[in-house]
Amino acid sequence: MITRMAKIELVGPKDDLMAALDLLHSRGIFQFEPQLPTESVAGVDRPHMLVLDQEGLRERLFFEKLRERIIALLNLLPDVAVPALPLQPLPVMDLLDELVDGHLAEARRLDGQARTLRHEEEQLARTLLFWNTLEPLWAELPSEANLELIGVTILHANQLPLLEAALHRRLAGRCQLSSTQAADGTLVGLIACDREMAGPLRAALTSEQVPEMPLPPGFAELPATRRVAALRARMDSCRSDRLAAENTLAELSRSWRNIYQQAREWLDERLELYAATVAIYATRQCFILHGWLAESETIGLRQALSEAFAGRVVLAELDILEDELERVPVQLANPAYFAPFEIFSRLLPLPRYTSYDPTPFIGIFFPVFFGLMLGDIGYGAVLFAIAAPMARCGRGVAGDLGKVFGIAALYAMIFGIFFGELFGDLGRRWLQLHPLWLERSAAMLPTMLLALTVGSAHILFGLLLGAWSELRRHRGREALLRLALLLTVLLLVLVALGRIFPAPWLATGPLLTGVAILLPVLIIAGGLLAPLELLKTLGNVISYVRIMAIGISSVLLAVVANQLGGAVGNLLIGILIAGILHAFNLLLGVFAPSVHALRLHYVEFFSKFLDLGGRRFEPFGKPRPTPQERRR
Amino acid sequence: MEKVWIAFAAALAVGLPAIATAWAQSRIGAAGAGTIAEKPELTGTIIILVAIPETMVILGFVVAAMILLL
Repeated sequence: MITRMAKIELVGPKDDLMAALDLLHSRGIFQFEPQLPTESVAGVDRPHMLVLDQEGLRERLFFEKLRERIIALLNLLPDVAVPALPLQPLPVMDLLDELVDGHLAEARRLDGQARTLRHEEEQLARTLLFWNTLEPLWAELPSEANLELIGVTILHANQLPLLEAALHRRLAGRCQLSSTQAADGTLVGLIACDREMAGPLRAALTSEQVPEMPLPPGFAELPATRRVAALRARMDSCRSDRLAAENTLAELSRSWRNIYQQAREWLDERLELYAATVAIYATRQCFILHGWLAESETIGLRQALSEAFAGRVVLAELDILEDELERVPVQLANPAYFAPFEIFSRLLPLPRYTSYDPTPFIGIFFPVFFGLMLGDIGYGAVLFAIAAPMARCGRGVAGDLGKVFGIAALYAMIFGIFFGELFGDLGRRWLQLHPLWLERSAAMLPTMLLALTVGSAHILFGLLLGAWSELRRHRGREALLRLALLLTVLLLVLVALGRIFPAPWLATGPLLTGVAILLPVLIIAGGLLAPLELLKTLGNVISYVRIMAIGISSVLLAVVANQLGGAVGNLLIGILIAGILHAFNLLLGVFAPSVHALRLHYVEFFSKFLDLGGRRFEPFGKPRPTPQERRR
Repeated sequence: MEKVWIAFAAALAVGLPAIATAWAQSRIGAAGAGTIAEKPELTGTIIILVAIPETMVILGFVVAAMILLL
């Protein structure tokens, strides 16, 4: 349902402006209207848009800059668990302004230091892994002082013999290559050669695209036997320095994060109040707030204003003028049964205030169409068993889908009883289940007529709603077009009915005469394109044949699953095959009816009466959490 | 022989719209995948849009059923 809105004007002395805004912010029920209504503009002291004075402007800039720095600091401080402290932020804002720069600089220094050390630690860990792996290799080498050791990473195992051949060719066998596998699976190699051959060796590695494992500065000069120990010592030193920096930062966070967090929340609210001033009008002595709120909230707000300002701030409820109807914000509020169906109406743009909320229509017709299409006791029961636990998930997407499909599954079971279907024809074969109404697989024409009847009723109802909607908006010509369309479609449906079930009161002649009389009315009301609109509406009715088509394809697939399962000859394998096919059919049987039932609403039904493009109700501020909620 | 022609007509009535639906859905599906990549909140709308051309094959199925049954 679309909530009824009230147009509100609040007037009070300028001194009470911030307090009034604060009250509106905390209640979160009022939406500002930046345009002042014309009747408010009359008088000698004409209201003008409120502009902040020098002092207000300075305060706003101060708060904005402080907020920026506090956010930067909060982003650096780690989240540590500290009990909440009661704090009145306003008196300490000046103090925080003085402290925040120092804290920010300190936090940046500590954070930068910790990042650098962590990066170095990661590099050292990689280098250490590499040289640890090579340690056994250089133990086999002769202990000559003039030996250069170069570590390389070999990308593929088949690269190793190629590298050996290339080194032998370029250095005439004056080097030795040994290889092994590191703990992380990488293939690493150690090349030993005379120091004077190191240059040509590196050139050869570059041309062969073999990456050399670089050593951090200061370690390359060390003898190979001392490198690993030196790397380990440096890594330990890095770790202890990093932990010290992180601990200092955590200590800073423990002392100050809570205070800055509360200050930031207060600043957010304060700046939101300043932002709202663009929609405030004022005379020399008074402020004027103009906007919207739900009609049901008016009494509560009037009472709250009376208690807070002792009659100084007055609330007046104004009449909504006809040309303002387009600007009235829209809020949807539905009873518990319909609320989960909002998941489907949210796929559409918001309806206009003068139109209808599509949710109740989806809530009523979607399960019926779904049930007509799926129409199987077994599938309905399985779907209900899946949907019921989902429905307990509350008001999230899963919870809403669970509730919607739980209801749809119930309808599928009810129609399943009418059609006598339990996993296709299994109920008939095993349990002697007989249809109470129609056997869809054997009665295609009656099923098609049923679908067309449902479609006609749905479309005629849509046209009736459309005519009523146009009448409410005082658009007589459009209302006449809808009514003429409605009557013409009704007469044509009766003509078709008379052909199938001949009856004296369904004589074709008088009915077609009625259509002939209505055609000029259609053209007068809707112009030359009105007959086209009539054809489109008839096409919309025929589109409901999909209810029959999807339903029959579902039941035939189920029959095929049973027949294939039965044809195997082995009970267990037969049950398995039939089970898999039924699961597949159920998946299709949930997806296709959902999509097509929604399409019948969006394309065929809603186009007859729904006026989309409404403005969302976005109230100023929101209720502040209580201290208990904060702790939770 | 007449039965063969009836079956052939029914096959054409459902087969040709099926090809047309497949072609239309391939175009809408490709565009829809791009849309969802940029705006995941439009997933529901895209599913509905992909289902719209199915009208052709459903009506084709109905015509085929009428050819076979009437």
